[in-house]
Amino acid sequence: MTETTKTPATPPADATPAPTPRGLIPLPLAAARALLLTGGIATAASTFLAWTWTSDFPGDLTVTGYPGGLQWLTFIAGALTAIFALASYGTRGLGWLIPARNNAPLVLTALGAFAVTWFTAIEIAAKLGGLANWEPGTYIAVIASLIPVLGAFALPQTAGETTKDTLKAYIAKPDRIPAPQPISPWAQRAVITIASIIGLAVFTYGIDTEYGELFIGFLIVVVFAVWALHTAGLLDRFSHMVAANRSFTLAMGFLVAIAFPFTQNDDHYANIGVNILIFGTVALGLNIVVGLAGLLDLGYVAFLGVGAYTAALVSGSEFSKFSGVQFPFWAAALTGAAASLIFGVLIGAPTLRLRGDYLAIVTLGFGEIFRIAVNNMDGDSGPDLTNGPNGIPAIPDLNILGFNLGQPHDIAGFTLGRFANYYLLMVLIMAIVVTVYTRAADSRIGRSWIAIREDETAATAMGINGFRVKLIAFALGASLAGLAGTVSAHVTYSVVPNPYQFAGSTPPNSAFLLAAVVLGGMGTVAGPILGAALLYLLPEKLDFLQNKSLLAFGIALILLMRFRPEGIIANRRRQLEFHETGQLDVPETTTLTDEPAVTKAGA
Amino acid sequence: MRQRSLVILTSVLATGALTLTACGSRDNSSGKSGDSGSSSTFTIGVDAPLSGENSNTGLGIQYGSQIAVDDANKNNWVPGVKFKLKAYDDKAQPATGQSNATSITGDKTAIGAVGPLNSGVAQSMQQVFASANMVEISPSNTNPQLTQGKNWQTAKSRPYKTYFRTATTDELQGSFAADYAYNGLKKKKAFVVDDKQTYGAGLAKIFNEKFTAAGGKVVQTDHVNAGDKDFGSLVTKIKNSGADLLYYGGQYDESALITKQLKDAGVKIPLFGGDGMYATAYTDVAGKQAEGDLATAIGVPADTLPAAKTFISTYKAKGYKGDYRGYGAYAYDATTAIIKAVKAVKDANGGKLPSDINDLRSKIVDEVGKSDFQGITGKVSFDQYGDTGNKQLTVYQVVNGEWKAVKTGTAS
Amino acid sequence: MHTLPQQLANGLLLGSMYGLIAIGYTMVYGIVQLINFAHGEIFMTGGFGALTVYLYILPDGTPMAAAIPLMLLGGAIVSVLIAVGAERFAYRPLRGAPRLAPLITAIGLSLALQEVVRNFYPGADKALAFPGLDTTHDIGSVTIKDADIFLIAAAIICMSGLAWFVRKSRTGRAMQATAQDPDTAQLMGIDTNRIIVIAFAIGGFFAAVAALSYGLKYGNIDYRMGFLMGLKAFTAAVLGGIGNIYGAMLGGLVLGIAETLASAYINNIPGMQQLGGQSWANVWAFVLLILVLLFRPQGLLGERVADRA
Repeated sequence: MTETTKTPATPPADATPAPTPRGLIPLPLAAARALLLTGGIATAASTFLAWTWTSDFPGDLTVTGYPGGLQWLTFIAGALTAIFALASYGTRGLGWLIPARNNAPLVLTALGAFAVTWFTAIEIAAKLGGLANWEPGTYIAVIASLIPVLGAFALPQTAGETTKDTLKAYIAKPDRIPAPQPISPWAQRAVITIASIIGLAVFTYGIDTEYGELFIGFLIVVVFAVWALHTAGLLDRFSHMVAANRSFTLAMGFLVAIAFPFTQNDDHYANIGVNILIFGTVALGLNIVVGLAGLLDLGYVAFLGVGAYTAALVSGSEFSKFSGVQFPFWAAALTGAAASLIFGVLIGAPTLRLRGDYLAIVTLGFGEIFRIAVNNMDGDSGPDLTNGPNGIPAIPDLNILGFNLGQPHDIAGFTLGRFANYYLLMVLIMAIVVTVYTRAADSRIGRSWIAIREDETAATAMGINGFRVKLIAFALGASLAGLAGTVSAHVTYSVVPNPYQFAGSTPPNSAFLLAAVVLGGMGTVAGPILGAALLYLLPEKLDFLQNKSLLAFGIALILLMRFRPEGIIANRRRQLEFHETGQLDVPETTTLTDEPAVTKAGA
Repeated sequence: MRQRSLVILTSVLATGALTLTACGSRDNSSGKSGDSGSSSTFTIGVDAPLSGENSNTGLGIQYGSQIAVDDANKNNWVPGVKFKLKAYDDKAQPATGQSNATSITGDKTAIGAVGPLNSGVAQSMQQVFASANMVEISPSNTNPQLTQGKNWQTAKSRPYKTYFRTATTDELQGSFAADYAYNGLKKKKAFVVDDKQTYGAGLAKIFNEKFTAAGGKVVQTDHVNAGDKDFGSLVTKIKNSGADLLYYGGQYDESALITKQLKDAGVKIPLFGGDGMYATAYTDVAGKQAEGDLATAIGVPADTLPAAKTFISTYKAKGYKGDYRGYGAYAYDATTAIIKAVKAVKDANGGKLPSDINDLRSKIVDEVGKSDFQGITGKVSFDQYGDTGNKQLTVYQVVNGEWKAVKTGTAS
Repeated sequence: MHTLPQQLANGLLLGSMYGLIAIGYTMVYGIVQLINFAHGEIFMTGGFGALTVYLYILPDGTPMAAAIPLMLLGGAIVSVLIAVGAERFAYRPLRGAPRLAPLITAIGLSLALQEVVRNFYPGADKALAFPGLDTTHDIGSVTIKDADIFLIAAAIICMSGLAWFVRKSRTGRAMQATAQDPDTAQLMGIDTNRIIVIAFAIGGFFAAVAALSYGLKYGNIDYRMGFLMGLKAFTAAVLGGIGNIYGAMLGGLVLGIAETLASAYINNIPGMQQLGGQSWANVWAFVLLILVLLFRPQGLLGERVADRA
């Protein structure tokens, strides 16, 4: 494999007099790299000092000798900076970290370390009231984290027309990432395994963050680290690897998901986990309707409600209209899914002939009708079925094959609490939904959905029965939501009409579900699940902003859409659509443009 | 060569990340070590909607509890024990409330919880606290089912022994109101409206039953949605029904609009409601149209109890947000009940608290059940179902734009 | 049924307000095919703008006749600025993005605007009293207030003004052209960006008029009032045929009357006693919408493409 490695030091051999690449801060290359390396190490080292005098600041940063709380995040970010700096020296064995020899990963890791350190320092000052609360360690950290940033911007970079363009060029992903050396399938699997373990660790850490500041620090580090890996081209390499080992990756993903409750000794985090899974499963169901078939559904949460109410009615709760009836779980799940399916068809059949936004308002209307109807059907202002605003409480715990999900169980030395049990059940449901989703998406019907989404007229002309195909998408999406609803009824012990609204401050509601799909990435499997996790965790962890948390959340939604409209995990085809100027890694095309690497990808 | 270095580096990173996870537990253990010391700090969780709708009332609960905790620490109610309040926002959503409940029970320094505001949220939290054997006292849940089971009208049975409340049930309030409306106001024809929420619908239903039983006539009923603004159609119906009283089960948000629109249309009959509309916001919004409207509220009027006056002045002096008038004082009493129970456990145990948190929690549940002290809303005690022993209710009326107590009594 | 005239009047009044807000949805949709879900919040901020003028700028005791035009001005400034700002900074950068991205932006914007008002407007965490026009008049069996007259008059004046603007003025014609075919319009020398900004501004102005009428009629405003009203107004816009300004007003009136009548009379129908009353009114409103769309998928006036603006 021959690599056309283009070191940034050598100017492009163009006939036209290209501007010589040089840093924004005029320093020699060696000095720049040295600053990066020493700064990274110094930042990491500074976390071993005390940063403040009182343990009032969450995480107890008063200890000299080892890091704690937010200091760990600084440590990781500093270490990453140093590792990437080492790689830029061409250190043996680290060269693979920056295959394209571009500046972006260095700049981004340095910025990440800087951001998380300064965030911590500013939080200390703001929370405890003044710079007086800084210890010498804090000053050292603040200065140390600035060094790599200086170094990063001293790296030589072909200047753009304006300073803004130059800055963009610093964090841009190069047009061409050299193809990796082929490695054996077993090595690939090893890489995927390790990546999954890291993913689990990172995810677990994120869920377990005990205070909002730590979560924000965590987000800063993760965003910059992932961004750096992306611009280095490593994420693309990894996704090629995943594509080559799809079933293995899927299996690893579920193994990791199953492993999650075993890493927790507090049932609260399993509770968060199960809520995320329910929310994610429903989002994945919505993804069939919105992401694959392109039908805008604004009342989707009603199908979750239908499933939940059905399960509650046949759960044997004494408050249920049919209190004598107690279905075993498999039957209740099937009934719930079937009930949702019937509602999906009932709603879909007359309305799917409408196009676009007319369908949106009809589904919105249906969602509201469901909530109001359920709220009124208490025998007082409507037929007696759902117990009205009181809902159906006291839903008994599930008992599957003699395994009571309500009781803690000891498995291999680990205690699994109630929510961990439900979490594992939801992993199973999620596995079913993911299988259904991928199978459907790859099938003939899935391709019809995409065809309909792209151009309904053309698809119909090609002989696709648009109405039938859309109805299947609608019904399938509805029944998956219903399935998730049956579990959610048991998890929360009760079903009440309130949560099944169009928009509210907490998931699940139709607006949040849609946001999870769009934010995560339409048409992908991992996207909606990631989006759901993010949308669930953000309001939960932003609690420390108190009554400004919703405001922050609203602004976050606007910003995320502004900078990444195609979602966090973009469907490849869609990404090409939405970033017209962005050249993704398409190795065959040899583009010979004069402007190097001014792309919007990842911006 | 590449593969090997790759494996090495990733494993280095993985170890780093895993140690990182481990460090999360350092904070736990340092928190735990606090208990065993001579001056231990315990956490009381308070759960209420602190953002979004209902947050005005929810914040009143949070700060009501906060004042109780501050008082306990300042006056050293339990020698050698300090209390800390941790507020959780349930956004009026059952699943969020449940997640908060698991968070409270998972906190190894937590000994009790105050909240939630909404009965619908309480349903998903009760079982979590019951499993953890931790006391939960709601300052505002009024649904009788929560303490007396499904068949509360015929065969009462307590579903969760860890759940208590300092608020009275809809049953007491509804019958007190019906009695006053028929015998006190001499009204014979009532139009009953509710907002189709647990609290409002329950209250209206009981008023309807009791008013009819007393000999009055309910000429018509109607239901609105929480969040409605236009009641033109409803007002026209009331106007033509010939009713001489409008009873409304629900919150002040809607009732203030209804009374205003009703009187603008020339229907000069009073609106009567529950403690959900006993708030300054009601008179602020409805203005002079609220004149003569009535509301029932639990306990004796605050200005007859000096402790309550201190509470209100503290609340105002601290500049806390939210409305203490709703349930702030009940949150204060609920929190105090937990703190007093800690003291009782300590005294009964030879001046020492049990070192095992689970043991402590279950002993606190027992002691809360035996509560008997003078709170700021009156006497605080609980009956065999966990309902408040304070059965005193007061009818207030808007006179010159202010709520004035017109009758205090005990519900039968 | 002797209450029918009064109930019709109630419905007509409610419907006029829906119609005024619906204009904002329909104009923006007609030109950029964007459902601006934050429009309800633009309506809400207009109310707060008007209240600010009354509370903090005008001296106490200003007669309402003098105060109302100034309050309208204040409300309009706030609404139009927010509408145009939202277009410029939130929606315009997303013009090439997937259709759903602006929708999420709108949801975020809607949350953010509500929270800004709740957190930073003094006393806005609960409903705020608004000066009302409460003098009543009896016309036959119908009782209406001054505020109702203001609302009806405002709706008629605004609608005629808009109709004239869209049909006769140069900008209005440019608007119709842009709505029909933005690319060709641009080729003909129309500055489509300007047209879009104007559409947002007109929507904002109408929302401010509606918000002022709302405040005068109900005597209070709160930070959540935009959500439900916006949802209803959007329904009205679709019912009338989204993209059509007359359709928006007609849809609003139909929706308002349908809702009022449903809440007033459905429980008189034998067998439907339990399905009547105000708590079911929204259900009937949506059922009506679905039925209309089944038989006229383009909405009541959806076909008059020539008048789309």
